[in-house]
Amino acid sequence: MTKYFLYSGCSLETSASNYLISVESVFKALGVELREIEDWNCCGASISYIGANHLSQVVLNARNLALAEAQGGYDIVAPCSSCYIVMNQVNRELGEDPALMQKVNSILAEGNLTYKGSVKVRHVLDVLYNDVGVETIKSRVKKPLKGVKVGGYVGCQTVRPYGEYDSVERPVVMDRLIEALGAESVNFSHKIKCCGSGIFLTELDYGYELAGNILESATSKGAKVMTTACPLCQLNLEAYQERVNKALKKSYNVPVTFITQLMAVAFGLDPSKDACLDRNIIPVEKALKTAA
Amino acid sequence: MDKKLGVYVCKGCGIGDAINVEALSEAIEGLDVTPHLFKDVPVLCSKEGVDTIKADIEGEGINAVVVAACSPRVLYDVFDFPGCLLERVNLREGVTWCQPPGEEDTQMMANDYLRLGITKISKSELPEPFKPEEEISKRIMVVGGGMAGLTAALEGAKAGYEVVLVEKEAELGGWKAKFYKEFSAPYNDIHDLSVTSLIQQVQGHDKIKVYTASEIDKTAGGPGLYSVDIKSNGGSAQEKIGAIVMATGWKPYDPSNLEHLGYGKFKNVVTNIQMEEMAKAGKIVRPSDGGPVKKVGFIQCAGSRDPERLPYCSAVCCLATMKQATYLKQMDADSQAYVVYKDIRTPMQTEDLYRKVQRDGAVFIRGEVESVSEQGGSLVIEAMDVLLNDKVRLEELDLVVLATGMVPTSMPAEIPKKEMPAEGGGTELREVAPDSGFFSTPALRLQYRQGPEIPTLKYGFPDSHFVCFPYETRRTGIYAAGVAHRPMDSTQAKSDAAGAMLKAIQVVEATAVGAAVHPRSGDMTYPDFFMQRCTQCKRCTEECPFGAINEDEKGNPLPNPTRCRRCGVCMGACPERIISFKNYSVGMIGSMIKSIHIPEEDEEKPRAVVLVCENDAYPALDMAGLQKLRYSPFVRVIPMRCLGGLNLVWIADALSRGVDGILLLGCRHGDDYQCHFIKGSELATTRLSKVAETLNRLALESERVKVEEVSIADAHRIPEILNEFMETLEGIGPNPYKGW
Amino acid sequence: MAQKASSKYDPTFAKEVFEKVDSGEEIKKCMQCGVCAASCPLADKMEFSPRKIFTMIRAGERQKVLASKDIMLCTSCYTCIVRCPRKVPVMEVMHGLAHHALRSGFVPRKESSKFGKAFWDCIYKTGRVDEGVAARNYYLADGLVAGAKRGLEMKDIALNMLKHKRMNIMSAIPGIQGKKIKNIATLQKMLDKAEAMGKGGSK
Repeated sequence: MTKYFLYSGCSLETSASNYLISVESVFKALGVELREIEDWNCCGASISYIGANHLSQVVLNARNLALAEAQGGYDIVAPCSSCYIVMNQVNRELGEDPALMQKVNSILAEGNLTYKGSVKVRHVLDVLYNDVGVETIKSRVKKPLKGVKVGGYVGCQTVRPYGEYDSVERPVVMDRLIEALGAESVNFSHKIKCCGSGIFLTELDYGYELAGNILESATSKGAKVMTTACPLCQLNLEAYQERVNKALKKSYNVPVTFITQLMAVAFGLDPSKDACLDRNIIPVEKALKTAA
Repeated sequence: MDKKLGVYVCKGCGIGDAINVEALSEAIEGLDVTPHLFKDVPVLCSKEGVDTIKADIEGEGINAVVVAACSPRVLYDVFDFPGCLLERVNLREGVTWCQPPGEEDTQMMANDYLRLGITKISKSELPEPFKPEEEISKRIMVVGGGMAGLTAALEGAKAGYEVVLVEKEAELGGWKAKFYKEFSAPYNDIHDLSVTSLIQQVQGHDKIKVYTASEIDKTAGGPGLYSVDIKSNGGSAQEKIGAIVMATGWKPYDPSNLEHLGYGKFKNVVTNIQMEEMAKAGKIVRPSDGGPVKKVGFIQCAGSRDPERLPYCSAVCCLATMKQATYLKQMDADSQAYVVYKDIRTPMQTEDLYRKVQRDGAVFIRGEVESVSEQGGSLVIEAMDVLLNDKVRLEELDLVVLATGMVPTSMPAEIPKKEMPAEGGGTELREVAPDSGFFSTPALRLQYRQGPEIPTLKYGFPDSHFVCFPYETRRTGIYAAGVAHRPMDSTQAKSDAAGAMLKAIQVVEATAVGAAVHPRSGDMTYPDFFMQRCTQCKRCTEECPFGAINEDEKGNPLPNPTRCRRCGVCMGACPERIISFKNYSVGMIGSMIKSIHIPEEDEEKPRAVVLVCENDAYPALDMAGLQKLRYSPFVRVIPMRCLGGLNLVWIADALSRGVDGILLLGCRHGDDYQCHFIKGSELATTRLSKVAETLNRLALESERVKVEEVSIADAHRIPEILNEFMETLEGIGPNPYKGW
Repeated sequence: MAQKASSKYDPTFAKEVFEKVDSGEEIKKCMQCGVCAASCPLADKMEFSPRKIFTMIRAGERQKVLASKDIMLCTSCYTCIVRCPRKVPVMEVMHGLAHHALRSGFVPRKESSKFGKAFWDCIYKTGRVDEGVAARNYYLADGLVAGAKRGLEMKDIALNMLKHKRMNIMSAIPGIQGKKIKNIATLQKMLDKAEAMGKGGSK
């Protein structure tokens, strides 16, 4: 059985609990074993720069990498795009800069840790597409999402900055996965445009505009359901959708799922226990059933 | 020559389906020549097909072959029968692929093309290559001993040719040897001068004869036959030369025009050349007081890209500044460079040097310099920073370096004047045009009727046809290399020099066997002059684009066949029609036009003769066929070497025989001309403008004759152009002289 | 009228940026093409685009740059990094500048810095971020009353999240901390050391 470390990160613990549970169910169904990195800490996300310098963020992530290396060295799979990009970037910096690695190890020594650079950081989409594979996923589908028009919203950090498993400008992995579930993938211009990320907390108006553009782009191309692979993308497009409607005088009412939720449904797993559809604010079931 | 004609029609590539071969054989009855053999072959380019022709040449004594198959632009290596006349009739691209199969009009088109081909071959003779009495020299002279000249000389010698290198200064190396350091690959740093070893290699090569402190006094003759007088230090020498590489280089743009940037006003404002001199001397100091230089302002495009000064970009000044900023930092780590620029132009790998200078900490300011002034003994640059959208002030500068551009040495300091016919009669002194041959600074001192130097483009660079023929000048056998050719850095100059030397080698080898260089490479014909009828009108000597024809005191033309490019412009120029080639003449084209079958007026099948430049327009027509674009079946295409060969008698002949219109397809002319023979299409247009009056006099509409500019990439426009012309003719109605 | 020159291209600030700002030396590579400005999702909300910020640094505009709201208006979407033809990590430079500005006593964006500090506070104290705690502390940064008021403004979102089991009600209670990781003490030592050894740090 293939083993990975699941680095759930902070968002999946609470606001994206539906993501975490659906990831765990889907991987289990696919015969992939996920383990937790014992005593992991936060990655710092993209806003640690406000409270700390860059080296602090490097250390935060190096600590997790060192723990993973010591606990078996499996690839780390990160469902949260922010965790993925930050951890991956630090890992890369450490690999490319021996002086930095040395400096960081001198700091990790405080906790009797050391990092050699052997661990890989992967996005959940990467693992699903490249390790598990579209064919395996297809073979596991019991209830194909036939006729469902899905807007696969990739977002920004999910594929950036290095394009390691998909094109940064024209990603296809999300679409191929949607198609593997029997659904129809809708192409739209704002597939990789930023949703506003943390700006929703501090500059609401800007956030409404960015999220609104994405909703407009996807729904105008016929998307009846949207899907993402990033907790903040999902949150901004879904939890704020009513506010976006008010601010921009629109009436979007499009469910926004995590790709693993759709997958759980297509695999025929339990809609609430495994796919956690009941944790979505905008109801998903109807959009999936109408089509079927 | 007694001709025994064999006609071979190919039925492959759809020709057999589109055209009735039986009807074709009937259509050629009654022409001046009757074929000895007429055969159709399933696939003529196959081994069996070619063998059929070869067997007939052997066994039947066929000595004139008409291949009615694909375009003459393809398979020329397959249809090659030495010792035989050959004519290719284009039934594939020209008929089958652009017309509907099996139609009456399609058949009539094919019939006419075969008639044209047979008429043409009946008027052709096998050419005999030009063999001068004097022995052809394959030695190559390189004029100029800078980076380009040295490279050309060395490349020529390495290829096994004797080279004569003439340098006007006492030392070899040109500007490059006077500089401090160079930028060349790898561009992550600056390097020691490579020209030093180049000079040694040239001086040590036994195939290279070097003249320094020497000038060319006289260049007579033509390719393969040049006789060059070289004057040096009181002495003189004569060399027999086959071809010339002109690497006369550049001079810096005159900084006296840069007073607005402080030049001449402040001692500490210097040019990039003066900066090099200081660096070469070992120390960069303030010229005003010899004090140390800590802060330097570089002003890019000093005079360049300025319509009032030097309108073009010299492509090297940015890199020169990068080099200077680099050594400035190397000489003094505390120094600070500021670069005020419009755009930094460091193409390809040279960008690495730009990156290095950025890493070294130079500050780049994008904007326009508004003033350079002095304050407390230091200089101040005020500039409009377009990115800040604010005015900036760079103070306490010890030095301001003006990045000046390059001017070719051929560009005269003052525009020469020449006696020219005045408007009201008599003569007057007038400034000569850049393309006149009298414009340049003396360098080659050619004994050419059309002037002693190479005609240039508007900025003084000699060139003939940049797109298709790099290195070429408007004088056959003389090739420009390096900055004499266009602004470039020394790395580019080296490859340019190698290219020019290859062209020089090509011309001596072609001349030795009597063949033309391109675009008609391999052509063995050259113009014959029927001198008894010459009226000394001088039109041929004036209009030859390559200065191939000199004249004697009486004004009789004196052709120099090795300078000839076989374009036929002289043939079109001659009002007496005394100039012709063995397989190309006024009479031949006239006969071809006459061999076109003209249907009666009531048949409602108009006819237009389309005279087509073979360099660009004809390939465009071929490509239209290749793309299966359909166009009017009423046009009859006759290729010409160049529209400059147009003789007005053809127009008169065609119209008087009932042809409804004549369309000329040629290259663009004017400043950005595309004509491969420089002025051919322009001359044709000028000549045609005179036709309009004649037409009006004959009560014929001037719209019946038209010129269109077509480039090789214009295949998609071909149907539109041809169809529109036919519509115009339909609108005017049939030629009233039809059937007379 | 001739405009008075307002900038003298004083290199002092550029040197400060090269030496003290994370990724600051990377701006030397910038060739002012403007692709970053054209790619930024919030460029039209900015007074100074990233490209212009870089020019201003080289021109020595310390005050304007460090006080500029724009250096903190970043969604961290990485588009500028992906597209920069000179491989300048534009976003990293902006983050570095923002951190440097805050450390130097500037507050380019009050809200973002309050939230960022609350976020980092969680990490430093517990090793992880309890979203509820971070958000609560951010709202409470201006005192209890203001915080409660701002919290109420977001009531709709919070209630929805609570209802769908995506928020922990406990986190909203002032004083409640998130769960600490086991080795929080050594993590804090590590972070202290990193702060000191990093660019512009005390060592």
